Amino acid sequence: MSVIEIKNLTKSYGKARGIKNINLSVEQGEIFGFIGPNGAGKSTTIRTLLGLIYPSEGNATIFGKSCIEHPEVRKELGYLPSEVFYYDNMRVIDLLKYSASFYKKDCTRRIKELAEVMDLDLKRKIEDLSFGNKKKVGIVQGLLHEPKLIILDEPTSGLDPLMQQKFFELIAEENRKGATVFFSSHILSEVQKMCSRVAFIKDGKIIKLEKMSTLQENSYKKISIETKGIIPKDVFDIKGVSKLESKGKSINFIFKGNINLIMAKMADIDLRNISIEEPDLEEIFMHYYVKEE
Amino acid sequence: MNIFFRELKANRKALIIWSVCMFLLILSGMGKYTAYSSGGGGSDVFEKMPYSLKALLGMGSFDVTTISGFFGMMFVYIELAVAIHAVLLGSGIIAKEERDKTTEFLMVKPVSRTKVITSKFFAAFVNVVIVNLISFISSLMMVNVYNKGEDITKNIAVFFVSMLIVQLVFLSLGAALASVMKKPKASGSAAAGILMGSFIVAKITDLTDKVNVINVFSPFKYFSYKDIVDGKGIDVTIVVLCIVLVAVFVSSTYLFYKNRDLKV
Repeated sequence: MSVIEIKNLTKSYGKARGIKNINLSVEQGEIFGFIGPNGAGKSTTIRTLLGLIYPSEGNATIFGKSCIEHPEVRKELGYLPSEVFYYDNMRVIDLLKYSASFYKKDCTRRIKELAEVMDLDLKRKIEDLSFGNKKKVGIVQGLLHEPKLIILDEPTSGLDPLMQQKFFELIAEENRKGATVFFSSHILSEVQKMCSRVAFIKDGKIIKLEKMSTLQENSYKKISIETKGIIPKDVFDIKGVSKLESKGKSINFIFKGNINLIMAKMADIDLRNISIEEPDLEEIFMHYYVKEE
Repeated sequence: MNIFFRELKANRKALIIWSVCMFLLILSGMGKYTAYSSGGGGSDVFEKMPYSLKALLGMGSFDVTTISGFFGMMFVYIELAVAIHAVLLGSGIIAKEERDKTTEFLMVKPVSRTKVITSKFFAAFVNVVIVNLISFISSLMMVNVYNKGEDITKNIAVFFVSMLIVQLVFLSLGAALASVMKKPKASGSAAAGILMGSFIVAKITDLTDKVNVINVFSPFKYFSYKDIVDGKGIDVTIVVLCIVLVAVFVSSTYLFYKNRDLKV
């Protein structure tokens, strides 16, 4: 049985926003990446899945049941929203205890463990916390009842790199213990690290669903070089190069494929400068669009 | 139960402030009674006043030189205050989570929306009852300080029973409004606006008998306070109608809140 099952899910708000005909299924024990630029419909999909908003068409279930009709299925769910807001006048520990009170188990030990890992002061008032610290509260709050399904919506925003690292370790650990993870983000590289499959969403539609292994074989690189002399344009006329732009001595393109091939090519050129970056999502999306049309 | 206690805790500060204010309102209100009752001739002054002026001052047909008449006049203001409390509380219990953006915390817990609303209603009910009791006890205390005539404890008790019903009408009205309206920030002002509107309606029908039919929009006029002052008690039919009204508001709160998208 799939842990998350989304069928023909559509949610329309007026003309501009919303999602259209989303189909997804997430299997038990996998880490599923959900990637898309801001405003693509990631949060809308998640909120519909969790029963916060109603779908216009289609349906979405977790553990085989709709959250709207069976709110109790959410007892095995841990959710970290993209923006965390809590009751300001509460202390962190009170909020966590309140959160734990919804699940019929003792979470005190787990709260302590998680707070220690995330370096979170439980005695402070929530209104005094920085954005990053609130996010940590959100993480502890989402994991304290050891849920079987963890849904993360842009979990790393606001966390410093060290905390991000600890957070990824935490999620990986939960996954090893058997939790299924649904990971929404606009940063491809962070999803790349841990996900087994990934879905790309743009303008409310899923434009691609791929196994991570396939994506990794075809890792995309954005390469910019400056040469000492003018080089003929057709040097880079090889498989895997796209969006080639050349202006005199500087050349930019996106490369997808075996990285050794392109490096061998580079070795033959007299370079002044080179930079190899992860292309941003927009560029990869554009690439997909071109391919689909 | 956890939501219920959380809600009580969240409202604790406001409840204390409201209770203190109600006590002070009644304290200062009753303090003026000596000015109305002293000298015996005061009654003449009030009798010579044109009715419309008396209505505007809130005296209406009460004999404000007697303690129960004076209390009847003052009661309108007590009731206005607790109605504001009730309507804001009602709209708050529904709108607060969305306004403070805690919906995404609470509503992904394994609880149904119905259960959340029920817990919140119970907590709000406790608040309303406490405000009512504090006002009742303060009134009893203050009336006993100034009352030199017959005991009016029973009349006062009837006043506060009627007030509890009016409080519940406003509480459920506030909740229903917040539930129907999609903008959580606007629902508090809308609720307060409707309350002021109904208070104005009550004032208009105080001034003239010709438009008594619009009293239906003003819970302030559902009970005849003149009758209570005169010791005639309250009309059971009105009580039943009010309970029906509360039931309608409460069920529409559930209905709309359950079927709408939450603002996140």
